[in-house]
Amino acid sequence: MTEEQALEQATQEIEDAKPLYKQINKERLEFTQADYDQAIIDRKNFILDEYNNGYIRARQEQYLAIPEQLDLIYWDGVNGTTNWADHIAEVKANNPKP
Amino acid sequence: MAGSLIKIYEEIVTSAVSSVDLGGANWDSSYDVYMVKFSNVTVTTDSTILYARVLKSDNTADSTANYDRALTILRSDTNFTDTGSTNQTEFGIEILGTATGESANGIFYLFNFNNASEYNFCTTEMSNLDNASRLIAGQGGFVHTINQLGKGLQFFMSSSTIAGGIFTLYGLNK
Repeated sequence: MTEEQALEQATQEIEDAKPLYKQINKERLEFTQADYDQAIIDRKNFILDEYNNGYIRARQEQYLAIPEQLDLIYWDGVNGTTNWADHIAEVKANNPKP
Repeated sequence: MAGSLIKIYEEIVTSAVSSVDLGGANWDSSYDVYMVKFSNVTVTTDSTILYARVLKSDNTADSTANYDRALTILRSDTNFTDTGSTNQTEFGIEILGTATGESANGIFYLFNFNNASEYNFCTTEMSNLDNASRLIAGQGGFVHTINQLGKGLQFFMSSSTIAGGIFTLYGLNK
Protein backbone atom coordinates (compact mmCIF):
# COMPACT_ATOMS: atom_id res chain seq x y z
CA MET A 1 0.00 0.00 0.00
CA THR A 2 1.37 3.40 -0.93
CA GLU A 3 1.06 6.55 1.14
CA GLU A 4 -1.25 7.97 -1.51
CA GLN A 5 -3.55 4.95 -1.31
CA ALA A 6 -3.62 5.18 2.48
CA LEU A 7 -4.39 8.88 2.27
CA GLU A 8 -7.24 8.24 -0.15
CA GLN A 9 -8.72 5.56 2.10
CA ALA A 10 -8.31 7.72 5.21
CA THR A 11 -9.95 10.70 3.54
CA GLN A 12 -12.94 8.61 2.54
CA GLU A 13 -13.27 7.06 6.00
CA ILE A 14 -13.22 10.42 7.74
CA GLU A 15 -15.66 11.82 5.19
CA ASP A 16 -18.01 8.92 5.88
CA ALA A 17 -17.65 9.40 9.65
CA LYS A 18 -18.62 13.09 9.63
CA PRO A 19 -19.65 14.87 11.74
CA LEU A 20 -16.93 14.23 14.34
CA TYR A 21 -16.85 15.94 17.70
CA LYS A 22 -14.31 16.97 20.31
CA GLN A 23 -14.78 17.73 23.99
CA ILE A 24 -13.06 20.89 25.22
CA ASN A 25 -13.92 23.11 28.18
CA LYS A 26 -16.84 20.81 29.01
CA GLU A 27 -18.37 21.47 25.60
CA ARG A 28 -18.99 19.03 22.77
CA LEU A 29 -18.01 20.82 19.58
CA GLU A 30 -17.84 19.70 15.97
CA PHE A 31 -14.34 19.38 14.55
CA THR A 32 -12.88 22.39 12.81
CA GLN A 33 -11.40 21.95 9.34
CA ALA A 34 -7.97 21.75 10.98
CA ASP A 35 -9.25 18.96 13.22
CA TYR A 36 -10.58 17.06 10.22
CA ASP A 37 -7.28 17.53 8.39
CA GLN A 38 -5.39 16.15 11.39
CA ALA A 39 -7.87 13.26 11.71
CA ILE A 40 -7.16 12.28 8.10
CA ILE A 41 -3.41 12.31 8.74
CA ASP A 42 -3.84 10.23 11.91
CA ARG A 43 -6.09 7.77 10.11
CA LYS A 44 -3.63 7.50 7.20
CA ASN A 45 -0.77 6.79 9.61
CA PHE A 46 -2.86 4.13 11.34
CA ILE A 47 -3.74 2.46 8.03
CA LEU A 48 -0.11 2.42 6.93
CA ASP A 49 1.06 1.10 10.30
CA GLU A 50 -1.53 -1.67 10.22
CA TYR A 51 -0.48 -2.61 6.71
CA ASN A 52 3.26 -2.57 7.41
CA ASN A 53 3.33 -3.83 11.00
CA GLY A 54 -0.01 -5.44 11.71
CA TYR A 55 1.27 -8.90 10.81
CA ILE A 56 4.04 -8.56 13.40
CA ARG A 57 1.55 -7.76 16.15
CA ALA A 58 -0.73 -10.58 15.01
CA ARG A 59 2.16 -13.05 15.12
CA GLN A 60 3.15 -11.89 18.59
CA GLU A 61 -0.41 -12.50 19.72
CA GLN A 62 -0.48 -16.02 18.32
CA TYR A 63 2.93 -17.38 19.31
CA LEU A 64 2.77 -19.67 22.31
CA ALA A 65 4.20 -18.39 25.56
CA ILE A 66 7.97 -18.86 25.91
CA PRO A 67 7.74 -21.66 28.55
CA GLU A 68 5.39 -23.57 26.26
CA GLN A 69 7.74 -23.09 23.30
CA LEU A 70 10.68 -24.32 25.39
CA ASP A 71 8.65 -27.38 26.31
CA LEU A 72 7.92 -28.05 22.64
CA ILE A 73 11.63 -27.68 21.78
CA TYR A 74 12.59 -30.09 24.58
CA TRP A 75 10.13 -32.78 23.52
CA ASP A 76 11.02 -32.32 19.85
CA GLY A 77 14.60 -33.13 20.87
CA VAL A 78 13.51 -36.19 22.81
CA ASN A 79 11.03 -37.52 20.28
CA GLY A 80 12.55 -36.32 17.02
CA THR A 81 9.41 -34.34 16.17
CA THR A 82 9.07 -30.84 14.68
CA ASN A 83 6.16 -29.45 16.71
CA TRP A 84 7.94 -26.21 17.62
CA ALA A 85 9.01 -25.43 14.06
CA ASP A 86 5.54 -26.39 12.84
CA HIS A 87 3.95 -23.99 15.32
CA ILE A 88 6.19 -21.12 14.27
CA ALA A 89 5.63 -21.86 10.58
CA GLU A 90 1.86 -22.01 11.05
CA VAL A 91 1.74 -18.62 12.80
CA LYS A 92 3.92 -17.06 10.11
CA ALA A 93 1.82 -18.59 7.33
CA ASN A 94 -1.43 -17.40 8.91
CA ASN A 95 -0.07 -13.86 9.19
CA PRO A 96 2.01 -13.27 6.05
CA LYS A 97 4.23 -10.27 5.55
CA PRO A 98 2.54 -7.98 2.97
CA MET B 1 -1.59 22.00 52.40
CA ALA B 2 1.60 19.98 51.93
CA GLY B 3 1.37 16.67 50.15
CA SER B 4 -2.09 17.25 48.75
CA LEU B 5 -3.46 16.22 45.41
CA ILE B 6 -5.33 19.23 44.09
CA LYS B 7 -8.05 18.67 41.52
CA ILE B 8 -7.65 21.23 38.72
CA TYR B 9 -10.06 20.16 36.04
CA GLU B 10 -12.25 17.30 34.86
CA GLU B 11 -13.94 16.26 31.65
CA ILE B 12 -16.71 13.67 31.76
CA VAL B 13 -17.68 12.16 28.42
CA THR B 14 -21.28 11.06 28.11
CA SER B 15 -21.82 11.61 24.37
CA ALA B 16 -19.42 10.18 21.82
CA VAL B 17 -16.46 12.36 20.88
CA SER B 18 -13.29 11.73 18.90
CA SER B 19 -11.06 13.64 21.30
CA VAL B 20 -10.98 15.03 24.82
CA ASP B 21 -8.67 17.88 25.85
CA LEU B 22 -7.62 17.89 29.48
CA GLY B 23 -5.82 21.10 30.40
CA GLY B 24 -5.35 23.72 27.71
CA ALA B 25 -7.18 26.85 28.74
CA ASN B 26 -7.85 25.20 32.10
CA TRP B 27 -4.17 24.50 32.81
CA ASP B 28 -2.85 25.81 36.13
CA SER B 29 0.90 26.38 35.83
CA SER B 30 1.54 26.67 39.57
CA TYR B 31 2.55 23.03 40.07
CA ASP B 32 5.77 21.15 39.35
CA VAL B 33 4.18 17.75 38.83
CA TYR B 34 0.69 16.82 37.66
CA MET B 35 -1.38 13.68 37.70
CA VAL B 36 -3.88 12.77 35.01
CA LYS B 37 -6.41 10.07 35.77
CA PHE B 38 -8.51 8.40 33.08
CA SER B 39 -11.15 5.90 34.11
CA ASN B 40 -13.87 3.77 32.54
CA VAL B 41 -12.91 4.93 29.07
CA THR B 42 -15.03 3.05 26.55
CA VAL B 43 -15.29 3.21 22.76
CA THR B 44 -18.05 2.88 20.18
CA THR B 45 -16.28 0.60 17.68
CA ASP B 46 -14.52 -2.68 18.36
CA SER B 47 -10.71 -2.98 18.10
CA THR B 48 -9.81 0.69 17.98
CA ILE B 49 -6.90 2.44 19.67
CA LEU B 50 -6.97 5.13 22.32
CA TYR B 51 -4.04 7.57 22.09
CA ALA B 52 -2.68 10.57 24.00
CA ARG B 53 -0.82 13.71 22.92
CA VAL B 54 0.67 16.67 24.72
CA LEU B 55 -1.29 19.94 24.57
CA LYS B 56 0.95 22.85 23.54
CA SER B 57 1.00 26.43 24.78
CA ASP B 58 -1.62 27.37 22.15
CA ASN B 59 -3.92 24.69 23.62
CA THR B 60 -3.70 22.46 20.55
CA ALA B 61 -2.29 18.95 20.52
CA ASP B 62 1.25 18.39 19.28
CA SER B 63 1.09 15.86 16.45
CA THR B 64 4.74 16.06 15.45
CA ALA B 65 6.81 12.87 15.45
CA ASN B 66 8.44 13.50 18.80
CA TYR B 67 7.03 10.86 21.13
CA ASP B 68 9.36 8.12 22.39
CA ARG B 69 7.75 5.42 24.46
CA ALA B 70 8.79 2.44 26.58
CA LEU B 71 6.42 0.11 28.38
CA THR B 72 6.27 -3.24 30.05
CA ILE B 73 2.99 -4.91 29.19
CA LEU B 74 1.70 -7.15 31.96
CA ARG B 75 -0.89 -9.62 30.74
CA SER B 76 -3.18 -12.07 32.44
CA ASP B 77 -3.24 -14.53 29.53
CA THR B 78 0.40 -14.91 28.51
CA ASN B 79 3.96 -13.65 29.02
CA PHE B 80 4.78 -10.11 29.92
CA THR B 81 6.40 -8.22 27.08
CA ASP B 82 8.47 -5.09 26.71
CA THR B 83 7.65 -2.65 23.96
CA GLY B 84 9.07 0.64 22.79
CA SER B 85 9.28 2.98 19.84
CA THR B 86 10.72 6.35 18.91
CA ASN B 87 9.62 9.38 16.90
CA GLN B 88 5.93 8.53 17.03
CA THR B 89 3.22 11.12 16.49
CA GLU B 90 1.33 10.05 19.60
CA PHE B 91 1.38 7.74 22.61
CA GLY B 92 -0.74 4.60 22.14
CA ILE B 93 -2.66 3.60 25.25
CA GLU B 94 -4.67 0.51 24.36
CA ILE B 95 -6.67 -1.35 21.72
CA LEU B 96 -10.19 -1.26 23.09
CA GLY B 97 -13.38 -3.11 22.29
CA THR B 98 -17.07 -2.86 22.96
CA ALA B 99 -17.79 -5.98 25.02
CA THR B 100 -18.99 -5.58 28.60
CA GLY B 101 -16.22 -4.34 30.88
CA GLU B 102 -13.73 -3.53 28.12
CA SER B 103 -12.30 -0.17 29.12
CA ALA B 104 -9.12 1.78 29.84
CA ASN B 105 -8.15 2.98 33.29
CA GLY B 106 -4.92 4.54 34.39
CA ILE B 107 -2.76 7.37 35.58
CA PHE B 108 -0.15 9.60 33.99
CA TYR B 109 2.29 11.71 35.97
CA LEU B 110 3.45 14.76 34.00
CA PHE B 111 6.90 16.32 34.51
CA ASN B 112 8.52 19.51 33.14
CA PHE B 113 5.30 20.69 31.54
CA ASN B 114 5.89 24.25 32.74
CA ASN B 115 9.49 24.36 31.58
CA ALA B 116 9.91 25.54 27.97
CA SER B 117 13.58 24.52 27.91
CA GLU B 118 13.08 20.86 28.86
CA TYR B 119 11.38 17.84 27.34
CA ASN B 120 7.98 16.80 28.70
CA PHE B 121 8.18 13.48 30.52
CA CYS B 122 5.26 11.24 31.48
CA THR B 123 5.14 8.06 33.49
CA THR B 124 2.10 5.86 33.28
CA GLU B 125 0.48 2.88 34.88
CA MET B 126 -2.73 1.47 33.57
CA SER B 127 -5.04 -1.49 33.83
CA ASN B 128 -7.19 -2.16 30.80
CA LEU B 129 -9.51 -4.82 29.47
CA ASP B 130 -8.61 -4.89 25.79
CA ASN B 131 -10.68 -5.77 22.71
CA ALA B 132 -10.48 -9.48 23.59
CA SER B 133 -11.44 -8.86 27.26
CA ARG B 134 -7.89 -9.65 28.38
CA LEU B 135 -6.37 -7.79 31.28
CA ILE B 136 -3.56 -5.67 29.85
CA ALA B 137 -1.69 -3.70 32.47
CA GLY B 138 1.01 -1.27 31.38
CA GLN B 139 3.88 0.28 33.27
CA GLY B 140 6.24 2.76 31.65
CA GLY B 141 6.10 6.14 30.07
CA PHE B 142 6.94 8.45 27.24
CA VAL B 143 9.04 11.50 26.58
CA HIS B 144 7.96 14.32 24.30
CA THR B 145 11.29 15.31 22.77
CA ILE B 146 10.75 19.01 22.18
CA ASN B 147 11.79 21.83 24.47
CA GLN B 148 8.43 23.46 24.92
CA LEU B 149 5.68 24.12 27.40
CA GLY B 150 3.00 21.50 27.88
CA LYS B 151 -0.52 22.28 29.05
CA GLY B 152 -2.02 18.87 29.60
CA LEU B 153 -2.99 15.91 27.47
CA GLN B 154 -5.36 15.23 24.64
CA PHE B 155 -6.96 11.78 24.48
CA PHE B 156 -8.10 10.82 21.01
CA MET B 157 -8.87 8.02 18.58
CA SER B 158 -7.83 7.73 14.95
CA SER B 159 -11.00 5.80 14.23
CA SER B 160 -14.13 5.23 16.29
CA THR B 161 -15.04 7.54 19.14
CA ILE B 162 -14.76 7.70 22.90
CA ALA B 163 -18.17 6.63 24.15
CA GLY B 164 -17.62 7.48 27.80
CA GLY B 165 -15.05 8.12 30.45
CA ILE B 166 -13.81 10.43 33.15
CA PHE B 167 -10.61 12.43 32.64
CA THR B 168 -9.26 14.33 35.61
CA LEU B 169 -6.26 16.63 36.01
CA TYR B 170 -4.62 17.10 39.41
CA GLY B 171 -1.70 19.14 40.62
CA LEU B 172 0.68 17.76 43.22
CA ASN B 173 0.89 20.44 45.84
CA LYS B 174 4.38 21.20 47.10
